[in-house]
Amino acid sequence: MRRLSAGLTAGALLLVATACGSSGDEPSKGGGSSGGVTTVKVGLIPIVDVAPLYLGQKKGFFEKQGLELEFTTAQGGAAIVPGVASGQFQFGFSNVTSLMVAQSNGVPVRAVANGIASTGKEGEDFGALMVKKGSPLTSPKELEGRKVAINTLKNINETAVRASVRDAGGDPDEVEFVELPFDQMPAALDKGQIDAAMVVEPATATIRNQDGVEIASPLVDVAPDLTVALYFTSARYADRNPEIVKKFQKATAQSLAYADAHPDEAREIITTYTKIPADVLAKVTLPKWPAEANRSSIMALMKLGQSDGLFKNPPDLDELLP
Amino acid sequence: MRGTNAALGVAGLAGFLALAEAVPRLGLVDDDYLPPAGRIAVALGDEAADPAFWTALGDTLTGWALGLALASGAGIVLGVVLSVVPYLRQATASTVEFLRPIPSVALIPLAVLLYGSELRSVLLLVVYASFWQVLIQVLYGVQDVDPVAEETARSYGLGPWARIRYVLWPTALPYVMTGVRLAAAVALILAVTAELVIGAPGLGQRIGVAQTSQAVPEMYALIVVTGLLGLVINVGARAVERRALAWHQSVRGEVTV
Repeated sequence: MRRLSAGLTAGALLLVATACGSSGDEPSKGGGSSGGVTTVKVGLIPIVDVAPLYLGQKKGFFEKQGLELEFTTAQGGAAIVPGVASGQFQFGFSNVTSLMVAQSNGVPVRAVANGIASTGKEGEDFGALMVKKGSPLTSPKELEGRKVAINTLKNINETAVRASVRDAGGDPDEVEFVELPFDQMPAALDKGQIDAAMVVEPATATIRNQDGVEIASPLVDVAPDLTVALYFTSARYADRNPEIVKKFQKATAQSLAYADAHPDEAREIITTYTKIPADVLAKVTLPKWPAEANRSSIMALMKLGQSDGLFKNPPDLDELLP
Repeated sequence: MRGTNAALGVAGLAGFLALAEAVPRLGLVDDDYLPPAGRIAVALGDEAADPAFWTALGDTLTGWALGLALASGAGIVLGVVLSVVPYLRQATASTVEFLRPIPSVALIPLAVLLYGSELRSVLLLVVYASFWQVLIQVLYGVQDVDPVAEETARSYGLGPWARIRYVLWPTALPYVMTGVRLAAAVALILAVTAELVIGAPGLGQRIGVAQTSQAVPEMYALIVVTGLLGLVINVGARAVERRALAWHQSVRGEVTV
């Protein structure tokens, strides 16, 4: 009897857990098409950058193309690139350097639409090289022999900071780069564990709130209007579903243009998929969302990456870019 | 005795909360990065008012319960089979010792490759991590069978099935229960970790979003929830253990003559 009741308890627990566990807010749609609407899974990092897609979905730009987006959020490229490469997600969001590295490592990825671009304005970008209040450092040149936090070593932000140091007349090889997630940089800077941090929003706004000082806008230093991130798919999916890719491109371009023209609506939609506190969000610098990628800026980024030794083989931009 | 234990438990918790409130307030740590307990409690209240939070809790519990059930079932069946057939045990011993120390989180890229960010990729990690806890305990438990009892059962003509039922299982059950209890805790940790890193829906994913959003009190509130969940699971597992083993010496204590 006792064993029976223990078994029943365990069974009931399982049932309860399953009953309240269905995660979909809508009835399950699966991956295929139904009634003229194709559902595609998009792997994203839940950050400011991807607001246009959420906005475009809400505004019905994707629906008009017969697409329904199903968002999957992950903490970083570690889950997104393999997910797209293996076809678990049809599209993903990634920075340009990561895509070039993936391609040079033989992962068949193909960019399909623009993601974000830097604002191109020195001192008013979403990405910034910052020091704490009262720091004696005023120029990237002085970072020689100092600790600078980068979210991922050997990636776009390291390339950009090295460009800033070089432009200021310093030797980037003398800078000590340490890897740290963006969200931990404000605390590390405050505690003096690092001398400078290369941050993006909302960490930039957090450091500004603490009276941190920006000493360079590295993404602006790489190239004017640098394309920072792109939406991409796998080469296999692009070859097999050219129609869907075309529809995704159209709807994404429309969403980007709309978000760029309506920053207030973009800020509004960010509150639906992130938990950025209202006072921080109000101060966040939004990126630019041009509909087209800027090829010459990507060339510049690739050349810098090559001299930094990021790529095994030179990336093939004709193959990678839309 | 029970009352004293409960009182001590409450006192310990109150002390901890007071400390968590005081440390940031006294400026020992920056309250931007470790908010006082009161602010975390407010954030926790906000979370509880959000239906999406309950969905996430349900997702995490589903991953945990299904993963634990699969791991326990597989661990018990395989453990008994491996121990009953000595050749199999010897043939698999080195493989088990090779596979067991592989950290489950190292399988994250594989999980994403196979299943994307669905429940199944969470299950892969949860089952892999908690399966070994059960299997190893079952193997130990079966080894503990008294050879005299086993021989006696044989000489009385009990078949293999009856010997498993009446000799092997009662001996192994306390070990199995320990294994399942350990597995329950490991399964929760892995379920939350998988959600955090892969982005499968659940509490872990919400922690991740709060973290990248710089929403510090919300992040700690969710972490508190996972802690409470672990506590509830442990208490529950102990209760099940006590009931299932009510006949066993370790639970009922020595018989006083």
